Amino acid sequence: MENINFGIDLGTTNSGIGKFQAGKVTIFKNPVGFKDTLPSVIAYRNNRILVGDKAREMTTINPDQVFSSFKRKMGSAHLYQVPDSCETKTAIDFSALILKELLGFITEEKPTAAVITIPASFDTIQSNATKLAGEAAGIHEVLLLQEPIAACLAYANVQNIAIDELKNWLVYDFGGGTFDVALVSIDNRELKVIDHEGNNFLGGLDIDHLVLEKLLCPALEKELQEENLWKQMVNGENTAYSKLFFELLYRAEEAKKELSIKEEAFVEIEIAERYIEILITRKDFNKLIHPKVDETIKLTKHLLEKNNIKNSEVDRIILVGGTTYIPYIRTCLSQVFDTHVDATIDPTTAIILGAGYYAGTKNKQTTVTKEALPATLKNVKLAYEVNSKDNEELLTGLVDQDFSGYYRVTRTDGGFDSGIIAFHSKFNEFLKLVPKTTNIFNVKILDKYHTVVYENEHIGINHGIYNISGQPLPNDICLEIDDTLGTTYLEQVFRKSDILPLNKKLYKTISKTILKASGEKLIINIVEGKSDTSPASNLCIGYLEIDSEDLPSNLLKGTDIEIDFDISESRDLTVNIYIGAITLEINQVFNASAKQVSAVKITQELEKVLVELENIYSDEFEMADVPKLEELRVEVIELLKLLIDIDGDLLTDKIYNIDERKRKAFQAYDHLIRRRNVVAEIEEYQAQKNEIREELLLKPNPKIEHAFNNITKNEIKFLNSNQSSIIRSKIRELQKIANEIYYQNDQSYIELFYYYAIKPIEDYTDENQAKKIMNNGQKAIDKENYAELKAIITNLYHLLKVKPKNFFEDQSGTLGLK
Amino acid sequence: MKDIITQLFEIENKIKPEDFQAFKRNFQRIYHELEQEGYTVINPIGQPYDERDVAIEANISNEDKRALVITKVLKPIIYKSEGGIRTLIQKAVVIVG
Repeated sequence: MENINFGIDLGTTNSGIGKFQAGKVTIFKNPVGFKDTLPSVIAYRNNRILVGDKAREMTTINPDQVFSSFKRKMGSAHLYQVPDSCETKTAIDFSALILKELLGFITEEKPTAAVITIPASFDTIQSNATKLAGEAAGIHEVLLLQEPIAACLAYANVQNIAIDELKNWLVYDFGGGTFDVALVSIDNRELKVIDHEGNNFLGGLDIDHLVLEKLLCPALEKELQEENLWKQMVNGENTAYSKLFFELLYRAEEAKKELSIKEEAFVEIEIAERYIEILITRKDFNKLIHPKVDETIKLTKHLLEKNNIKNSEVDRIILVGGTTYIPYIRTCLSQVFDTHVDATIDPTTAIILGAGYYAGTKNKQTTVTKEALPATLKNVKLAYEVNSKDNEELLTGLVDQDFSGYYRVTRTDGGFDSGIIAFHSKFNEFLKLVPKTTNIFNVKILDKYHTVVYENEHIGINHGIYNISGQPLPNDICLEIDDTLGTTYLEQVFRKSDILPLNKKLYKTISKTILKASGEKLIINIVEGKSDTSPASNLCIGYLEIDSEDLPSNLLKGTDIEIDFDISESRDLTVNIYIGAITLEINQVFNASAKQVSAVKITQELEKVLVELENIYSDEFEMADVPKLEELRVEVIELLKLLIDIDGDLLTDKIYNIDERKRKAFQAYDHLIRRRNVVAEIEEYQAQKNEIREELLLKPNPKIEHAFNNITKNEIKFLNSNQSSIIRSKIRELQKIANEIYYQNDQSYIELFYYYAIKPIEDYTDENQAKKIMNNGQKAIDKENYAELKAIITNLYHLLKVKPKNFFEDQSGTLGLK
Repeated sequence: MKDIITQLFEIENKIKPEDFQAFKRNFQRIYHELEQEGYTVINPIGQPYDERDVAIEANISNEDKRALVITKVLKPIIYKSEGGIRTLIQKAVVIVG
C-alpha cells in the first residue's frame, strides 16, 4: 500500500507543503517568489482573487477586501462578504483556496491524500472543518495532526533522537502574529499534547513595532527636531510620515534579523536627501523586548504549574516560529527553565517537516479512481505576439465550449502572477515582460471548483530581441580580437536578423603593451559576415588604428577598454572607444557607403595564410581538394604581388578589388582547411579530456577536478562555435592540467632532469657548476630523493643561458585587443 | 551575491544626481559583469503599482484617487539565469504612494 507522503502546515499566518521521500522531507517552494511558505491571506482586487504575498500587501489600503486569520473562524457559521458581489465565503472556502495554492507548488502529479496540521486547541467541529477544506481542495483523504506533535516529530526525526522512557517536551511556538506553547508527552510509542496555552495577538510584528516606536522614533525626533513622530506616523494625517512608517517598519525588521547574528546593527534612513544612521545594540534590543518575552515565559510557567510539571521534568524545549531566531529568547528560556533549548532545525518550516515525516509513515486508505479526476478542457486557443517591444503583451484565450471558470497566468521566473480571474469562454490578459529577454508564461484554466482543467506552460514571448518594425541585419557584425595563441578570431557583436537600430557595449582588455611613440598600433577591426569564419573572409565595415603617438601615455597589457557599438537604421556604425586608465575617448562614425580597407592588414593576413598553405601535406586531403589548395596558394601569392604593385596608390580603387579577392580566397581557405582543422581540434580536445578524466579516476584530486570542470562546463557551446581559436585555447588549458597531473608523480622529475642533463654543456653559464649539479642529480635519483632532485632541476634552469620557452604562456596579441 | 548587489544599489542611490556622471561608467561596467554572471537587476522606481507584479513586495501607504506609483525602492529586483532558466532570487522592497 502506498504511503500518504504529503504534509501540509495550514497555518493562521503562513502555510507550507512538504513531501517525504528517500527518508527525508523536501519542502516545496512557491513558484511565485520561490519562498518556502505562503501567507494564509486571500484578497479580492480588480476582479482578481489574490492569494499569499500580494493579498497581504492589500491589508493596509483595502482591509475590507482582504481576508486573513480565517483559520480562527474554522467550524463557525461566520460568513465573509466577497467585495463587489453578492457572494459569501466561509473559512472552509478560504482554507480550500490556500490548500489549492499549496498543491500548485508541486509540479509532479498532485496528491489525493495528505496530512494537514491543526492547532492543539481545535475541537472536533474545527477539525472536521479542516478536513472539509482539504476535500474541497481535491485532497480526498485528509489525516489531521496537531501542530505541537508535528514539531516534535520534526525534531525527533531530523536528529534521530531515541526516546526510551516517557519524557515531557515543551513546544514553544512564537510566530509572526501568534504565540502558542504546548506540553507534549513523548515516548517511542506515543506523542500526546497534554495541555497548551497561547496568545493570539503576540508575535514578531509586535517586536518590529516596538523597535520602531521606542528605538528609531526617539533617535529620529532628535535628528529632525520633531515631536511625537510615532503618533504622526500612525494617525494617517501626514502622507509623507505614513510612507516613512512603512520604510521604518521594514528597517526595524531587518535590524531585528541582523541582531540575531550580530551584537549591533546600523539602521540607515534617507529623509529629504539626508542619510541618518541609527545604531541599535543587542543590549538595547534585549531590554526593549524583555516585557514581550516575559509574557511568553509567564504563559509557559502557567502551563507547567497547572499540569504539576516541574522545570526539571521538562526534557527539552523545542522552538517553532520565526521569532525564536532571537538569541535573547533562547537564553531566557534556558535560564528560566534550566533545560535544553533545541533550535537545531529551521523554526519556520518545522511543522511542515513534522507533517511530512508523519505522512511518510501512514498508508493511504483509499484509492482514487480515474473517473474522479477532472475532465481535461480541449480546444483551448491562446493568441499572443511572440516578439514584443512593449512592456506588456496581450494574451487572449478562447475556449471553444460554453465554458465558465477561472484562468491564471504566471511567469516561470516567479515575477508575475495574474491572480485567479473568472471568465466565460474568452479572456484577455496583459502580461508583464522582463526587458530584453525571453519570458516564459504558464497558463492555467480552472473549473468553477478551482480545479485545473487545462495547462500550457510554454508560452514564450521575446522582449526587445526582435522589433517587427525595423530592418533585419543581413549578416553577423563582429569584432576581430586576439586569442592567447598569437592568432585572432571573431566575436559576435550583433547577430544576423537582429533588428536595427542596435546598440551594445563590449568590455575588453588590451592584449599587448603599447609604449607611447613605439610605432605600435591598437587595431579595431569590425567586420560583417559570419562569426564562425576566419576574420579575413569577412567584409570590413569599420577599421580604426590608434597610433602609439596619439596615446596620452603608455598603454599597458591588461588595461580595460570599453567599446560601444551603435548601428542606426540606415546602417551607419558608430563606435565609441573609452580607455579609462589613460583617459582616452574616441568616437568614430563609419558610413556604410565607404569601404574600410587597410593594405598593411591585408598583407599580414595573406602572408600568414601563405605560410600555412606551404606547410600542409596534400596527402592528408581528399584528391579532389588538392588542385583547389594549389589554386588557393597561387591566388594568395598573386594578391601579395598586387599589393606590392599598388603601394602608394591612393587614387584608384585597386585595393578594393584586392580586398574582394582576398575575402573570396579566405572563404575558400575556410572551406578547405579551417573546417577540417576545427574537426581535428574537437577530436584532440575530446582525447585530451578523456585522458585527464581517466587520470582523475585513478588518482582523484579535488583541486584539479574543480579546474577541469570549469574548463569543460560550457563545452557544448564552444565545441559548436566553429571557432578554432576558442577550441585551441581550451585544449591548451586541458594540456596545462595534464601537465600538472604529470608532475604530481615524483618520478616525472627524473625525465625532466634528463631533459636538462642532455643539453650541451655550453648552454650553461657556468659549465663546471652545471656538471657538479648534474652529478648530484644522478645521486639523488639513485637515492630516490625527489625533494633534492626538484631543487637540482631549479638550479640547472637558472644556470641556462637561454631559458626554455613556457608553452603555456599567453602570447601577446597582434591587434592589441582581447 | 544578492546582498552585495543590494549594497551596490544602495551606494548608487546615495550618489547625488549632479555627481553621478563621474561614476556612471563604473556602475554600467559592474552591472554588465553581473549580467555576464547571470544576474539581472531591475529598479522599478516610478513604475505604476501592479498587484500582479509578484517580483515586488510593496508597502502601500494609502490609496486615494490618484494612480499608485512606486516612490521609493529599498531593494531592487534580482533575477538569476542558470542553464537558460531565469529565477527570481530577490523581490524588490518598495514604498508605494
